[in-house]
Amino acid sequence: MRPNSLIKLVRLQLRRDRRGAFSSTFGIAMGIASLVFFVALGLGVGRVVREKIFPVDSRLVDVVPSQLAIGLFGGGKLTQDAVDRLAAIPGVERAYRKMSVRVPAVSLYDGDFFGRRLRMGIEVIAVGVDPDFVRADVKLGDFSDPGPGKPIPTIVSSRLLEIYNKTFAPARGLPQLSAQMLVGFSFPVDFNRSYVAVVAPGPVTSTQLQVAGLSERGVLAAATVPLDVAIRMNQAANVDAETFTGVSLQAASPSEVPTIVAAVKEMGLRVDDQDRRMSENAGAAVAITTSAMALLSALICLLAAFNIAHALSAAVRARERELGVMRAVGASQRDIFGLVLAEAVVLGVGGGVAGTLTALLAALGVDMLSARVLPQFPFKPDTFFLVPPWLPLLGVGLGVLAAVGGAWLPARRAAQVDPARVLAGQG
Amino acid sequence: MITTEALTRGYDDGARGRVRVLDGVSLQVAAGEFLAVVGRSGSGKSTLLHVLGGLDSGFTGEVTVAGTRLSGLGDRALAKFRNESVGFVFQSFHLIQGLSALENVALPAAFAANDADEARAKEALARVGLGEKTERLPSQLSGGERQRVAIARSLFNKPRVLLCDEPTGNLDLQTADEVIGLFKSLNQDGLTIIAVTHEDRLRAAASRVLMLNDGRLAPHPDPLPRGGEGDR
Repeated sequence: MRPNSLIKLVRLQLRRDRRGAFSSTFGIAMGIASLVFFVALGLGVGRVVREKIFPVDSRLVDVVPSQLAIGLFGGGKLTQDAVDRLAAIPGVERAYRKMSVRVPAVSLYDGDFFGRRLRMGIEVIAVGVDPDFVRADVKLGDFSDPGPGKPIPTIVSSRLLEIYNKTFAPARGLPQLSAQMLVGFSFPVDFNRSYVAVVAPGPVTSTQLQVAGLSERGVLAAATVPLDVAIRMNQAANVDAETFTGVSLQAASPSEVPTIVAAVKEMGLRVDDQDRRMSENAGAAVAITTSAMALLSALICLLAAFNIAHALSAAVRARERELGVMRAVGASQRDIFGLVLAEAVVLGVGGGVAGTLTALLAALGVDMLSARVLPQFPFKPDTFFLVPPWLPLLGVGLGVLAAVGGAWLPARRAAQVDPARVLAGQG
Repeated sequence: MITTEALTRGYDDGARGRVRVLDGVSLQVAAGEFLAVVGRSGSGKSTLLHVLGGLDSGFTGEVTVAGTRLSGLGDRALAKFRNESVGFVFQSFHLIQGLSALENVALPAAFAANDADEARAKEALARVGLGEKTERLPSQLSGGERQRVAIARSLFNKPRVLLCDEPTGNLDLQTADEVIGLFKSLNQDGLTIIAVTHEDRLRAAASRVLMLNDGRLAPHPDPLPRGGEGDR
């Protein structure tokens, strides 16, 4: 059948049965709208979980000492020798050492804090890392040990800043901070001093910590400092400055991770995959919820398909004579089948586009409402939705699929209308 | 132009079993002939027309129309045959509501392989005297005008055979005369016409009249001379 004739006949039929066409399109639009809305919501929330709440680098394996020293290579301690062996595991690209400052520390801040007067004392945990581990996020200096008496460069966890901005700052009436504001900020720290813990026999080291940048690789509730600083502080306090508290192994590719994990365990060491598991669990929860909603939406699409099947069956019955005339003037069964399916495609495209637009508008509305009504909370995103380019296409495609699926049997019935029967005599 | 040999068409009719509507019909129609087929209701006249027009392929025997052997043709080949070789005119006009007269006439173009266009539809409408009413919808036309549009539609692809099923059955006397006149004119232009009818005027316009009785064709016992008056 010629395309322009097909368009003309499809338009004619849809114009004649506006009510049926609207009902069919509306059904599809509702199904597609809910599907696109919930999939976009699931993708958006999943992104927040993955990128903000539990940012997990898929190439990193965090190794910690074994709680029981039963390993083949001198127990589960992370000595430099153990680190070298870890770095030699096939598939490992880099090994980044970590060492906690093994003495307590406190910060007593008394002064101007970004325009507010602040007097506060807190316990500080400091963890030293190989500088290259956070190098990409360093904005001030070269993140190395500056030596005694000089401010120690510190990386702050970007998640910690989020928690401060969304909970701590509003509760204490403190200013909201950005990463740019924090870089260069200094605060006093006394190592080997504590309000609550037992200190080491060594001297107290008073110094300043200076924020050199923010990083997702920064330890969440600690000051991340250069590894050499941690070693120096531990040596000064006469505590263990030889073994590491952790090593982050960077795999050449995510596919190498399982092999590396197995090799690490074989060495009698443990893999700290708590963050990864939490990320996976949260991701799975989001995926399950999204799938349930998508399933519900698919059910609506299925109902819409049934509605189309019903509407088109009725339309085909009413148009039998007209279809017979078309057969008489040269339409093949395939032409008639195609004509009815083309009507369904138009309904499907209409429903798919309308549904997708409805979903996008609803998402926009939810985001606007969220910005106005919901209180600030950590990791609250600017948008709860993620709409990749394929999602609108999927919406329209599923709309067409539902419509064509619903129209299939009526189209076959239309193609099988016997023209000789419907055109005989008075009909 | 048309040849049938041993044409048989039967239907399953419940308790009556297999009913033969056409029973070994043999027919020859020459090019340019105007054949009228008469018979009582249910005698198989329409069935004969549908078989000759490729609308009904459930027959046995040999059927050749305008050089096309219909026996054993598939759906697409039959559709092409209907589109290019024959035109149908029905008692109930069967125009598509919502399409203008011009669009109705051009309907065969929707399924044609050639590039027939609007100009040809206008030409066909002019041929039946409706050149001024191309944009009218069927609901805005009289019964006679609707039938003329239907005739124009049947002529659109310049068929070699026109098959008419009670074409004047829904028309008043005067309009029927006009339509019959149109058929005569088309026939004089060389178009082969087969009309099944109860209408004596139409029968009188034919060059040959056959009677279908019990599924068999026979010469009409009382053919009216061409141009004669009917006994309606």
